[in-house]
Amino acid sequence: MADLEGDRVAQVVIDTTVDPNGVPVIVVSGELDISNADSLKSAVNSVTAQRPDRLIFDLSGLRFMDSAGIAVLIGATTEVSVVHLRNPSEIIKRVVELTGLSRVLPIEP
Amino acid sequence: MIIGFGMNATSASHEIPAAGATAAEHELPASGPAPSLARWRPSRPAAIAFFVGLALTTALAFAALALYNRNEKRLLGLRVRELGLVLTATVPSIQTPLASAAELAAATDGSPQKFRAFMAPYVGTSRQFISASLWPLGMPRPAPSAVVGAAPVLARLPGQAQAFFARAQKTPVLKITDILRSAHPSLGYAFTAQARRRGFAVYAENRLPANRRSKLEGNSAFSDLNYVLYLGRSRQPSKLLVTSLNRLPMRGRQASERVPFGDSSFTLVVGPRGSLGGAFFKDLPWIITVFGVLVALAAALLTDRLAQRRRQAERMALVLDRAAAENRQMYAEQRGIAQALQQALLPDELPKLNGLRVSARYIPAASGIDVGGDWYDVVAADGHRALLVIGDVSGHGLRAATTMASLRYAALAYAAQESSPAALLAKLSEFVSGGSPDYFATVLCALIEVDPHRLTVASAGHVPPLLLDHGHARFVEFDVGAPIGVAGGEPFQQRTVQVPPNATLVAFTDGLVERRGESLDAGLARLRNAAAAQPPTLEGLLAKLAGDLASEDHHDDTALVGIQWQT
Repeated sequence: MADLEGDRVAQVVIDTTVDPNGVPVIVVSGELDISNADSLKSAVNSVTAQRPDRLIFDLSGLRFMDSAGIAVLIGATTEVSVVHLRNPSEIIKRVVELTGLSRVLPIEP
Repeated sequence: MIIGFGMNATSASHEIPAAGATAAEHELPASGPAPSLARWRPSRPAAIAFFVGLALTTALAFAALALYNRNEKRLLGLRVRELGLVLTATVPSIQTPLASAAELAAATDGSPQKFRAFMAPYVGTSRQFISASLWPLGMPRPAPSAVVGAAPVLARLPGQAQAFFARAQKTPVLKITDILRSAHPSLGYAFTAQARRRGFAVYAENRLPANRRSKLEGNSAFSDLNYVLYLGRSRQPSKLLVTSLNRLPMRGRQASERVPFGDSSFTLVVGPRGSLGGAFFKDLPWIITVFGVLVALAAALLTDRLAQRRRQAERMALVLDRAAAENRQMYAEQRGIAQALQQALLPDELPKLNGLRVSARYIPAASGIDVGGDWYDVVAADGHRALLVIGDVSGHGLRAATTMASLRYAALAYAAQESSPAALLAKLSEFVSGGSPDYFATVLCALIEVDPHRLTVASAGHVPPLLLDHGHARFVEFDVGAPIGVAGGEPFQQRTVQVPPNATLVAFTDGLVERRGESLDAGLARLRNAAAAQPPTLEGLLAKLAGDLASEDHHDDTALVGIQWQT
């Protein structure tokens, strides 16, 4: 539930690119929470509709992620067989670790 | 019978319209006036604007009128003086021939031939005089000795002639007769000269115009004026010499001037034919009036519209206020409903086991009307063991709440068959596999054994529990499995730890430690420090942790369960 007062709405920037190897990359920056997780979800849906073998979430600019954001990342793993996280900050890395998702959402080797 | 019937009918026909009228009177104000032009009433400010505009217009119009009148009066004064000067300038053209002829008569002892020869050029139609004559003075009966032109009217009025020449004899100035009444009313002038033996008077006459009416010529400098010329000072009709008017007396604005003429004078009265200062200044008060009334009307209309807009805005503000109040009330109601639902989805009471103290808190998000997905349960497995389940379904709202409810009841069902936390989580994971990928749930399961002071925990992506022991706090460390609803995780691992006597276990959901812009580790460390600093009563501890959270603008629901070994 977003704050009704709207005084603390999270700002997120989502950018979809393709890296030199032809792997789709979704770049997520800012703060990802329940108020804007849907915009990431639509970005993921448009990428997974192409049925890629692999998908990378570039999280280098992401400062905060709540469980709604994690739910979107997990949702991507049900559509794409290999999902990697690229450059997550320590904060994000710990969220993934503590949620027991290190195996489901591995960091790009 | 007929009379009675008729009376009844009459009385009834009186009542019906009366009742109808009453009803209509009651209904009209309630239904509100229809917006029609007939009912339009200008607002008070509009009426004020109109009347102020009207007052200003009136004042301006009167000022313009006063200015116009003053200007006209001044101009008329100037014009009458000018006309008087023109009139004065005609005196020499009369006086000079008469004076010269008088001197000639005195020098020639009244020679009629000389007189006629001298005066002939001055006499005739459209010359100075209509008649000129030479009168020897001092005769018992005055009579002309020579005449040029028409016979003098004065010669037929002996009484008047005698009086006139008696007066004329006295001073050597131009003398003017009174108006001479005859078939052709005339005016006479005389100039006298004294010879050695006797005096002579040269007398000339001019006829007054027919009916005394004479218009000034159209191209004259004075064609914009009406005038009346009287002989002498009086303005009596009998003294009228000539006028441009058809009817006397002159009406309206006028000015007069006395013009000396010989031993007498003329009284000149003039009035304007139109506006001397120009038509524009004459019309100016009217122009101001028309323009001012239009401006006042426009101002009134504008003011009325502004007033209407303002009323509308005020009405709108009132409506918005009311809507906002309703909104606030609805929000409060819905938040109340959500919290009541949340409470209904949480256990009514916690089990009582010998040697264990159990307490729990649920802290809703600081704002919002959604039901959260956090839950907890503590069930007694048997007399000396309890199973703690605490979980958090991602997201909020009805779907999270229903998912949470189904997970909670599934967990309760499995807890009745299974006391191994890892096995319970595995069953729970199986229960939701194939379900929606849109959500997941983190669940912590712990088996608490009272007597052996043992704790066995397994976690499906859930934050670790905190273990407190006499001022020392640490998180229980073990391998965390993937959340419930996420495929591809490792099999759930559980870990059993020995706990010291009187230790306290605190399990919670991430709302307690998750802060924007802060790592989860920092949040966990903050919680650990806060818990370690607390006196070891369970209620005090939970109250402190819940209170710390409530003082923040936390955006997530939070569940908090504490279990304390009593021995």
